[in-house]
Amino acid sequence: MKTVRIGGGQGFWGDLNDAPITMAKNDNVDYIACDYLAELTLSIMRRQKEHNPERGYARDFITALKQMLPMIKEKSIKVLTNAGGMNIKAAVEAAKEAIKESGLNLKIGYVLGDDVMDIIPELRKQGISMNNMDTGEAIDSILPRMINANVYYGSEPIIECLQGGADIIIVGRSTDTAMWLAPLQYEFGWKTGEWEALSTGILAGHLSECGAQATGGNYDYDWKHVPEPEFLGYPIAEISEPGKLVMTKTKNTGGLVTPQSIKEQLFYEIHDPKKYLTPDVVADFSNVTVKELEKDRVEVAGVTGHERPDTLKLCVGYREGYRNIAYLPYSWPEALEKAKLAANILDKRMAMKDLKALEKRIDYLGLNALHGPMAHEINADLNEVILRYAIKTETKEEAFKLTPEIAPVSNLNGPAQGCFFGGRTKPSEVFALWPTLIPRDAIKLEAHVEEVK
Amino acid sequence: MQVQLKEIAHGRSGDKSDTSNLCIYARKPKYYQAMKEQLTPAAVKKHFEGVVFGDVIRYDLPQLDGFNFVMHHALDGGATRSLRLDTLGKTMEAALLRFVIEIDEK
Repeated sequence: MKTVRIGGGQGFWGDLNDAPITMAKNDNVDYIACDYLAELTLSIMRRQKEHNPERGYARDFITALKQMLPMIKEKSIKVLTNAGGMNIKAAVEAAKEAIKESGLNLKIGYVLGDDVMDIIPELRKQGISMNNMDTGEAIDSILPRMINANVYYGSEPIIECLQGGADIIIVGRSTDTAMWLAPLQYEFGWKTGEWEALSTGILAGHLSECGAQATGGNYDYDWKHVPEPEFLGYPIAEISEPGKLVMTKTKNTGGLVTPQSIKEQLFYEIHDPKKYLTPDVVADFSNVTVKELEKDRVEVAGVTGHERPDTLKLCVGYREGYRNIAYLPYSWPEALEKAKLAANILDKRMAMKDLKALEKRIDYLGLNALHGPMAHEINADLNEVILRYAIKTETKEEAFKLTPEIAPVSNLNGPAQGCFFGGRTKPSEVFALWPTLIPRDAIKLEAHVEEVK
Repeated sequence: MQVQLKEIAHGRSGDKSDTSNLCIYARKPKYYQAMKEQLTPAAVKKHFEGVVFGDVIRYDLPQLDGFNFVMHHALDGGATRSLRLDTLGKTMEAALLRFVIEIDEK
């Protein structure tokens, strides 16, 4: 029985860069998919590109690729990534450069067309509403503040790259799961309409796309006993036919794969288990079962699926004011009381400056900054606590009002404040996201394959 | 006997804009029924009072001895615009582990 092994080499931009290299070296995988894009990543990349037209993609990928190239050639591993971000062409050029330097002959594929910012006004004219999926609001008011608009597409153009013989495929905003589904469709010939088969690929992708989260990272069940977390092995999905999926991890590494590690990842960021919407299929995880076959090998069965939606998800990033956050640490004795007095002083100073904040938030790190009103009340005299004072404003000038007030508070207040964190705090721009839907045929995706010698 | 959920359950939480989802599983199948009866959407919403402001929906996963909770208006507007420290709501699952539950015995 044919088995295709696909590794998940990265879970986010900034993830452990050694992971895909170790996977390529230590194990025997057919494909490695590296996910770099979270919801907000493209807005950040877009801003980077504004500052420097050569940037706007995940350069970490090129660093890892350089070390992976010999294995890609020798072991015929194919690598897929959404590292292209907001600047696919620059990422492809950097990858081509790396291949040339290595002296190897490889084919590189890429997909353009997810960046649809330029056509949004035209789509509006055509009467496509693009209302906010969460709130139902009309999009027009945020369009002047738009910084990026990218559509989540499925496996089809990635399969085209594979059919063109690409060894390395760089895309932008495909869905994460498409990077797992496309190789499976290419290898097994699964077509649109074979919903159960396609859902198997989506399940493999969903379990793998967050990297270490399937293999003992962020492991609630037994985090104290995860072996060698400093050398955690990233996930590998083994797929042999529709519905046949085994999750494992890179050979000779730390971490673990257990029914619990898989269960914890199974519904991560999923809403209705019956309706996991992707451009390729609506996957149904509601009857999925997990079974340990042997150490670090877990069978995941029972996935089904339904017809794919007619629309694609579109994510519009836009500017939404500024944030300024200050951290002020206080020591025993009466640390909390001192921190509360500092918050009170800041409140009054801000009022004296006539601050017009859209929002304000005061937390005490070490006490309630994570669980808010759910945190237990503590009567003990804390060893230390950190005041976190956060404001959000419409303009940068308004947000800056907080900055010169922080240092003086250390002298205005009770004794034994540690120095404030990170030097002088400065306002940072807030990027908000507008999730919406557009018709599938409103966009045109282009797959390209080039040989690099 | 009464225990905190952390004694008998494990899970993970994540986000989609202002919605938090958390999956929670019984550490042993024998705890599933008590969780099913007591971790009602209303009880969970009450537990997250002052944090979660929208609807709480529960999806049952009996074959896995667990549940997936979807909680709306839970992340102060969502990761991109929130002033929360835990912008993504990764600790929401840990917050649920504070829930006090009645079980027959450990």
